[in-house]
Parts: sequence; structure tokens; C-alpha cells
Amino acid sequence: MLELNDLSIVYPENHGPLTAVDHVSLRLERGGRLGIIGESGCGKSSLALSLMGLNRKARTHGTIVYQGVQLNGQSDKAFKAVRWKKIAMVFQNGSEVLNPVLNVFEQLDEVLKTHRRFSTKQRRELVLTWLERVGLDRNWAFEFPHRLSGGMRQRALLAMALCCEPELLILDEPTSSLDARSRSELMGLIDSIQADQGYSLILISHQLSVIEAMTTDLLTLYAGQMMEYGPTHTLLHHPMHPYTRGLINASPDYQIYKELWGMPGGNHETPASNGCPFAPRCVQKGPRCKNSRPQVQIITDGRSLACNKGGIEILLKGEHLHKSFALKKGTVQALCDVNVELKSGEILAVLGKTGSGKSTLAHVLSGLYPSDQGRLTFWEPGLDSLSATRKRDGLQIVFQDPYSSTSHRMTVLDTVKEPLDILGWGTSESRRDAALSALAQVELPNKPEFLEKHGHALSGGQRQRLSLARALTMKPRILIADEITSMLDPSSRANLLRTLMGLQNAQGFSMIFITHDLFLARKVADRVMVMDRGRCIEQGSSVRVFQNPFHPRTRELVDTMLGNVKNEPMLGMKQNVYNLLKPREAETFFQVNHNKEQRRTP
Amino acid sequence: MNRFTKNLHYFSPTGKAGLIILSLFFLMAVFSARLTTHPHDVSSGKALMPPCFDHVLGTDDIGVDLWSQLVYGARISLLVGFLTAGISGCFGALVGMFAGYTGGWMDRFFMRIIDGMMVLPDLPVMIVLAAFFGPGLAQVILVLSLFSWVFTARIVRSRVLVIKQKEYVIYARISGAGPVYLMRKHLFPEVLPLVWVSMIRLAGKAIVAEAGLSFLGLGDPTSRSWGLIIYHATRFPGIYYTRFWTWWLLYPFLALSGMVLALAFVCRDLETLADPRMNQKISGGV
Amino acid sequence: MKKLGRLTEYVITVLIILSINFFLPRMMPGDPFLFLSGDQGEQISAYSDEQIRQYKACYGLDQPIFRSYLSYLADLFRGRLGQSLYFNESVGHIVLRRLPWTVFLVCGAILFSTVLGTALGSLSAFYRNRLLDNVLYGFMMFFSEIPAFLIGLFFLFVFAASLGLFPLSGALTSFSPDRSVVQVLKDIIHHAVLPVAALSLTRLGGMYLLVRNIMISIIPKAYMRTARAKGLSRYRIFIRHGLRNALLPLTTRIFMSLGTLVGGAVLVENVFAYPGLGLMISQAVMVHDYPLIQGIFLVITLLVLSANLMSEVLYRVLDPRVKDGEG
Repeated sequence: MLELNDLSIVYPENHGPLTAVDHVSLRLERGGRLGIIGESGCGKSSLALSLMGLNRKARTHGTIVYQGVQLNGQSDKAFKAVRWKKIAMVFQNGSEVLNPVLNVFEQLDEVLKTHRRFSTKQRRELVLTWLERVGLDRNWAFEFPHRLSGGMRQRALLAMALCCEPELLILDEPTSSLDARSRSELMGLIDSIQADQGYSLILISHQLSVIEAMTTDLLTLYAGQMMEYGPTHTLLHHPMHPYTRGLINASPDYQIYKELWGMPGGNHETPASNGCPFAPRCVQKGPRCKNSRPQVQIITDGRSLACNKGGIEILLKGEHLHKSFALKKGTVQALCDVNVELKSGEILAVLGKTGSGKSTLAHVLSGLYPSDQGRLTFWEPGLDSLSATRKRDGLQIVFQDPYSSTSHRMTVLDTVKEPLDILGWGTSESRRDAALSALAQVELPNKPEFLEKHGHALSGGQRQRLSLARALTMKPRILIADEITSMLDPSSRANLLRTLMGLQNAQGFSMIFITHDLFLARKVADRVMVMDRGRCIEQGSSVRVFQNPFHPRTRELVDTMLGNVKNEPMLGMKQNVYNLLKPREAETFFQVNHNKEQRRTP
Repeated sequence: MNRFTKNLHYFSPTGKAGLIILSLFFLMAVFSARLTTHPHDVSSGKALMPPCFDHVLGTDDIGVDLWSQLVYGARISLLVGFLTAGISGCFGALVGMFAGYTGGWMDRFFMRIIDGMMVLPDLPVMIVLAAFFGPGLAQVILVLSLFSWVFTARIVRSRVLVIKQKEYVIYARISGAGPVYLMRKHLFPEVLPLVWVSMIRLAGKAIVAEAGLSFLGLGDPTSRSWGLIIYHATRFPGIYYTRFWTWWLLYPFLALSGMVLALAFVCRDLETLADPRMNQKISGGV
Repeated sequence: MKKLGRLTEYVITVLIILSINFFLPRMMPGDPFLFLSGDQGEQISAYSDEQIRQYKACYGLDQPIFRSYLSYLADLFRGRLGQSLYFNESVGHIVLRRLPWTVFLVCGAILFSTVLGTALGSLSAFYRNRLLDNVLYGFMMFFSEIPAFLIGLFFLFVFAASLGLFPLSGALTSFSPDRSVVQVLKDIIHHAVLPVAALSLTRLGGMYLLVRNIMISIIPKAYMRTARAKGLSRYRIFIRHGLRNALLPLTTRIFMSLGTLVGGAVLVENVFAYPGLGLMISQAVMVHDYPLIQGIFLVITLLVLSANLMSEVLYRVLDPRVKDGEG
């Protein structure tokens, strides 16, 4: 029904032309529901306005074809034929979207007067009927817009858009100023009226939950360019473009557990004109992204993507991993047919009880000991787990126990730059500089007297930061964090985690976060993998796993650890004991108790 | 002076023309004694002589040289204009700053006065005052000033109110800055360009008002302002039926229009210069 | 509450004007009547003792200030403006006879300048930065600055004196007893063309610039975009949505500048010897007819003030938002 072919919209600004929409092509069928998402200024609204020929100063290139007729052209005539009769729009709610000096009725009535041949009486009835249909009482019809609440104004705008029974309804941020209840009411209205009238929808919104509820197809725009397109549900649950994933990670209605992190950098950074516009902010940008503009490629079943790297990369893939340890009597199957996958810029939490094999997985992945069976592939062909840990831009691991993972004899500086020294990277000055900046990143002082301190003079939290800094000097692409916070007090733990998450967001490395703490995992992870007795029993997005675990044992784990927390006073006591004792003792104490209770409440 | 020439290229062609005309009138006023050969107040030839070599612009009904009258008239116009602008500009700026800064009932009090005076028809009031206080340059200037200060005060006050709400002023106040410091460092520099602009606008208004009053016969009869020349010319019985008006009336008319237009054009350009959005560009105001 | 505040403000302003009017004769330097009998210009008019006594009695110059002030106010409330010394007639009568001409001039000028200024201003705003706009803008900027009486003089000498297209002075050709109503009307319009044109032209520039600015600020507003999206006709968008919103700031400005317009009218009447209040006041000044000066002044001022009060009421009617600001 609607077709955009290579559409570009250029605003002639004083300081050079500004391209708001950049070579976008798409199709919308009758009754189709298209969502458009993107950061502010990405060109969503310009695109919507151009469909009605409303951005006057802009020049459009390419074609807008509606039912076989090209709308944009020399004159306004083609647009005039469709405006409001066929394509209507619900504008973003603002105080001046409705004319302040005309009452609601007049503003609806004039639409009918212009486009339909009805008598005054018929028009009046129709307007009032429509207002009632969108849930606005007749009495409000003769009020001026400023008397109406935001929700009522939005309803009036909706009635205004619908009263000529358009074939295509464009909604520009229709819900951004509404509270949750009005929002769902309005969405319900649009939905139910659509069932009646069968109009197509184009919905622009920042609220991904609204997008998911209302649309079947989704378009992601960045700097006016199409980044990703596909079925809404798939796109939101399995984003292939780092930008789409960034949008999802920054949405509170989507990312309900994890801390919110926006994409670093603003979209005001001017990208290289011939490169990928998103490259300056992308976590996986490569040399090609800078000077080659990604083409929109069709991936599968109606999904298309514009990324030089073919979407979010898979950095690490383990297939059918097995590992067993020989005991005096028999063997222990620590890993049994485990499949694991890590995407770039992703945080994967590996959850499991003690002894479930999660640390073994970490060690196998980081090449501490080889797997018995299975295949481990990295982002570069020819890379294996041993060579990956021995290069910058590779894989790094941070261990659980800071007291044993950093030497108490070495000075702070020596500890941090040790991996660089081993590699013989750069000059000694540059190594020192790298160490200093890594220390700054983990928020440790880099004053000379601190640098000369020995490991034993530092607290547990400081030493854990130290080992983190050591890993960061290598600028890792993958960081494996093996229970790094389990030996810290709650405050140090929170501080360390925030630092780590901030670094992850800024530098974009991928992380495997191994923990037995579901609360922590929930705050940190994008994706969760649950281990039990050496097997991976469940994998999925964090939200899905915590809300709707598939595997009965996962459900048990989630229910008991998260669900009972409110009415289990024992846990609080346990924490107290934990804090009173020395870390080592506490760990054993806790574990012993933990094991004892496991039959009742694990 | 440097800043002046730097700002000159922000002026539009009309603004530049205005500046040139204005400076010509200034020169006329300053060097009026050198520019004229005949006295401006007593007869120096035959009555109603058309322009000739001796009397460049001719003479009026009692034989006074019109060129001399015109040149000395520039003095009066400029004197009235700029004295009025100076007095009312300074007073208005003071009142505006004071009212805006102190706020409260003082502000409301002054605003009432200003609002009241804004809607008053100024010319009838001036006529009444001039009629009662008698003609005379000083009275005219006083009466004009009495009515003009409200314009400056209004503009300055509203700007002060805006600046007062700015965070950097609030910050300065929290840090212990006194009223004197705030006025000197923040309010005054920001208000100054506005005061200049409004003073020039007032000068134009005052010149027009003086001409109007003189035209009604309420000017200083001892002076020979342009308005008064026009007054006498239009009172002359045969003026409509002879060619006398082509010199007697035309030149003061042109001088007056030229002066008013020049001031208006200069003012218009200064307004855009003093616009806060433009201010960053020229750094340091007008 | 706010309305009441504005009203009291107006009452106070009126009281102050009345007081000024009352105290003026007392603040005159020296004795006004000594000055009156001096040698002053063409029209020497020494008043008789009887007239001076009348004037003093009317303004209570011979009574204690407070009592005379009260009686002065009481007289005013009964509509008594005093007795003209020169014409020996009630000031009220003179004013009533002259007032229609001034109102006619002012209203005509408002009508012309507003209609034309609005049309041209919106035209300019819609064709902003095109040739039409540039030409109009330059032209209007020029005429908005020249005072009305200078334009009047120009018109008088070009169109009336040189070309003889219009009468030189007056509002009606006198001594023509039996003429039809149409002829009289034609005569009146013939006389009024130049004064109204002179007044309108100055004002037109101001109106034009104002409307242009307002429209330029209205065109990018969200509701204008909504109107365009609705596919309304250009005419409807312009009138119903654009002008309807421009009306608000426009009315306030029309009334705000009424004082200046009246001032202009006073001068223009003198230029064309148009028999309105403006001509009367200058004649009264000439003959030092103080009661007449004061009476005319009072009437003009009170009219302008009440027009302003009306404009505030009008504003409330026009802007739905103001009404609710109080509720």
C-alpha cells in the first residue's frame, strides 16, 4: 500500500545540508503495523512528516508511493489528495498541537467540513460519536484544549485523526506524555478501532513495550539510516544490530532487571560520511566500519540489517564441551555436553550452585585446562584459548579470591603491568602508562606512594580492583569474571560491580559473569545460562529466564532464592554471621549451612 | 572607537546611511557659526526671497536667512533629542534597575506608574503642561523627559527580572555578592546596551515631539527650531497659493524627516546588535 | 482578583489625572492672568475681570484647596467641565460638537491601518524573504518612522495645494444648505481622505511590522502543522488558525498605541485645519482658554483610558486561556 523507495530528506540548514532521513526503503501492506524506533533526532519524525508532505523546507529524494501514486513530486497536489482522507496522523502531544483558541469540536468539525459532504447536523453527531468512541465525554467537546488533561487531549487528537476513517494512521509518540493507565487504555482503543476499520499503522515511540504490543514489524533508524528491520517480536528479543540492542538495554520497560545503561556517546557525533554512521559508538567497530557504508542486507524471513559485520558478532562459541576430573574413586563429570555462545558487548551470567561446574567452564574457556571433548572457536580463525589469553585485545580472566590472585609481595605497579611485561609490549614507559590508566579506570589512586605499596598492605576490595586493572591493561575483548565479588562486603561489592559495569558499557567488552548469586546476576546480565551438575539446563535472556524459567530446576532455583526472600528471616541472619566472620571462614560456614539446608530450601 | 569600527560592518546599508546623515547633522550643530554667513534670528535681506547665491535656501516672511535657521535648528533638535534621551534614559534605567532588583511592593508601585503613563496619550498631556508652564526649551525638555523615562524603565526592568532569575546571578548571590557587586558586575553590563538603544529611540521620539509642539505654537518662541519654521510657514496666509513653500517649508521638512529616519535606522540596527542572541557574536555589546 | 487589581489601577490613574488637572492652575509659575494680558503673538486676548473671577470660581482658586477639590470632583461627576473663557460657552458643548470629528479620524485610521496592515503583514510573513516581502518591508520601515503630521504636510502640499485634488482644510464645505445626504457624505469623505491617509500611513507601517512578526512566530507552531496535516484549505489555515491566534497580541497592541494615535490625530487635525478636538485644543492654547484646554485634555485622556480598559475585557473574551487563569 505504502512504499518508500530510497527516500532521503535533506534540510538545507545555514551550515550545510542536514540529512534527516538517509536512503530508506520500505513497504507497508494494507492492515500492516509498522513500528519505528530510534534515539531522538534519528529522523523518525521527519520520516513521518514526509509521508504527509508536511516538512516544507526539506527536500526529498527518492519516492513515496501510496497505492501506486507517487506523492512527493513537483506540487503539493498528490499530498493534498491523501492528507487526512487517506493518511491521518496523531501528533506527539504538546500544549500547542491543538489550536489554543478553537474548541475541540470546532477542530474536529473542520476536518469533516473539508473532506466529507455532510450536513451541519450530521457532522455534529459524527464528531460527538467519535469523541465518545475514543472515550471522551461529549461535555468536553466544547471546551478549549487547555482545559483538557494530557490523556484527554491525546484522545481528542485520536478522534480527529480517525473521524475521516483513514487508511493509514501515523502515530508519533502518542503515549510519551501519558501515565501507564491512560497509555494502555489508548493503546487498547487504537487496537480495537483498528479491528473495526482495518487501517494500517505506523507507530513511532520510545516505549518498546508499546511498540511490541502494537506493531508486527519494526524499523530501527540511526542518523536517518535504516539499521535493522524485521518482525517486531524477533527484533526485540533477538536484536542483530548493536544499536538495536543498545536501545533495548536502555529501555526500562524492557530491561526490567539489569541496571540501565545508555549507549555511550551522543548521536551528535558526526560519523564519517562514507562509513557506518553508528561506528563511533559501536562496541564491535572494525577498521572497515569507518570507511564503508553498510548496505541493507536481507538476512532471513523478512529481516534485514545494515551492518558491516553482519550484525552482532559471536566472539566465542563452545560446542559440546566435556570435562571430567579423576578422583581417587571414579571420576567427577564437571562439564557434560555444554554449549556456550558469547556475543560481542554482551554480559552472560553463568548461574549455578556450588559444584555445578560453572568455574570449570570458566577455566576451560580461558584455557586453564583443555576440554576433554568438544570444540572451542573464537572470533578469529586460528585463535585458541591459550593464544587468546596471551594477547592484547583477547581474553582475560579475573578470579574469585583476590588474596591469591594477586601476589602480596609485588608492588601495585608491578602487579598491574605484569601481563604487559610478560608480553614485552611496547616500551617500559608505555607499559607504565597503560598500567596507570588501568588503575584510574578501576578507581584506584595512581599516586607514587600507592604504586609502591605491596599487595599485603591492601584490602580485599582494593586487591580485587587490582586484579581487574591487571586484566584491563590487556584491553580484553572478553572478560571472564569468576565469582569476583563473592569475598567482598556488600558495599565494596556494589562499588566494584558499578565500576565494572561502567567500564563494560564504555569499552564494550563482552563478559562472562560467573556467580551463584541470583540477585547479582539479575542486575548484571543480558543473558543467563544456568548450570546444574555439569550440564547447562537453561539459556536465555535474563528477563525470560527470571520471569519464566523453563527447566523445573531453574524454576526451583529462582523460586527459592528470589521468591522466598521476603518471608525468610533466616537469610538476614546468615548475612550477619557472614559479615562477622573472616571471609574464608564465612565462606565455609555459609556453604556448610547452605548444603545442610539444601534439601528443604536450597 | 576601535570597537565602534568593528561593529560598523554589522550595520545594514540603511543603518550606515543613517549614521552618515546623523553625523552630518552633528557637524552642522557644532560648526553652525562657521557654516552660516547670516544671522538666524534677525532679518538679513528681503522677505520671501527664493534660494539664490547669497541666501542659499532663501528667506522667510520677515527676511531671515533660512539656511541659518536650518543650521541653528539642528542644534535645537539635537539638544532636545539627546538631552531628553539622556535625562529620561538615566532616570528610567535607574528606576528600572531599582524596581526590578528590589521587587516586592516597590516594584509594583513603579509598575503601576509606568503602566498608567504608558496608556496616557502623551501629546495632549504635553500640550496641557506646555500651555501652563509656558513655552521655553527647558520646559519642553522637562515635559518630554517626564513622559519618556517610562519606556526605558519598562525595558530595563523586564530585562533585570530575567537576569535576576539566571543561575549565574543566583550563584553569585549565594556566594555572598552584595547588591552593589551584582549591579556592577551582572546587571549593569547586560542592561547597558538596552539603555543605549532605548535612548536613541527616545531621542527620535523627543525630536518629533518637540517639532509637534512647536508646530502647535508651543515651542520656545525665542529659538528657531525646525518645527517652529514649519509652524510659521503654515501660518503664513498665502502659503498654499504661492511657491513659497518650495523653500520655506520643504527644507525644514526634509531636515526633520531625515533626522528622524536616520535615528530610526540606526536604532533598528542597534536593536539587532543588542539582541542577546547576537551578543555573543560581538562580545561586549554596543 | 486580578481583574479587580486592573480596575483599581485604572481608577487610580483616572484620579491622578483629575488631580493633575485640578492642581495645574495652582502650579503655574506666577499669576496666569498676568501672563495672559502680556503681549503674545497675533491673538491678544485679555479677559475681563468678570471672566477671571468666573475662572477662579470654577476652579476654586479663591477657596481652600481641599474644599475646592471636592467640589471640582462633584462638578465633574455631573458632567460639568466648566465655561470656556474665549467662546463664552460651556466646555462640554464645545467638546461634544468637536468630538465626533476626532473619533471619525481616529477610527478611520485604525480601520484602514489594521485591515491593510494585517493583510500586508501576513502576506509578507507567508512570502518571507521573497521579493514581495523585501519590497514591502523596506517601504513600511520607511513610513513607520515618519511622524503623521509630516506626512500630512506632505499630502497637503502635494495633493491639495499643488494638484488640487482635495480640499485644503475643514471637514465640510460650509454654506451649502440644501444637499442630499449622499452629497454630504461624499463631501465628508472627500475632506477626510488626506487626514485619514496621513494618520493611517504612519500607523500602517507599525501594524505591518507587528503583524509580520506575529505571523512569522505563529507559522512554525505545532497547531499550524496540525492544520496543514488535516488537509484544510490554505485560506482556512490562514484565517482560522493563523489570524485567529494573531488577533490576541494584535488587539492589545492596537489599544496600547491608541494614545500615540490620538497625539498624531491632534497634530494632523492642525495640519488640515480639521475641526476636531485637536484643532480646538491648539486654538484654546493660542487664546489661553484654560478651562477649555483642561476640558479637552480630560475628555481625550478618559476616552483613551476607557478604550484601554475595554481592550482588556476584549482580551479575556478572545483568549480562552485567560478566563481560566482566574478560576
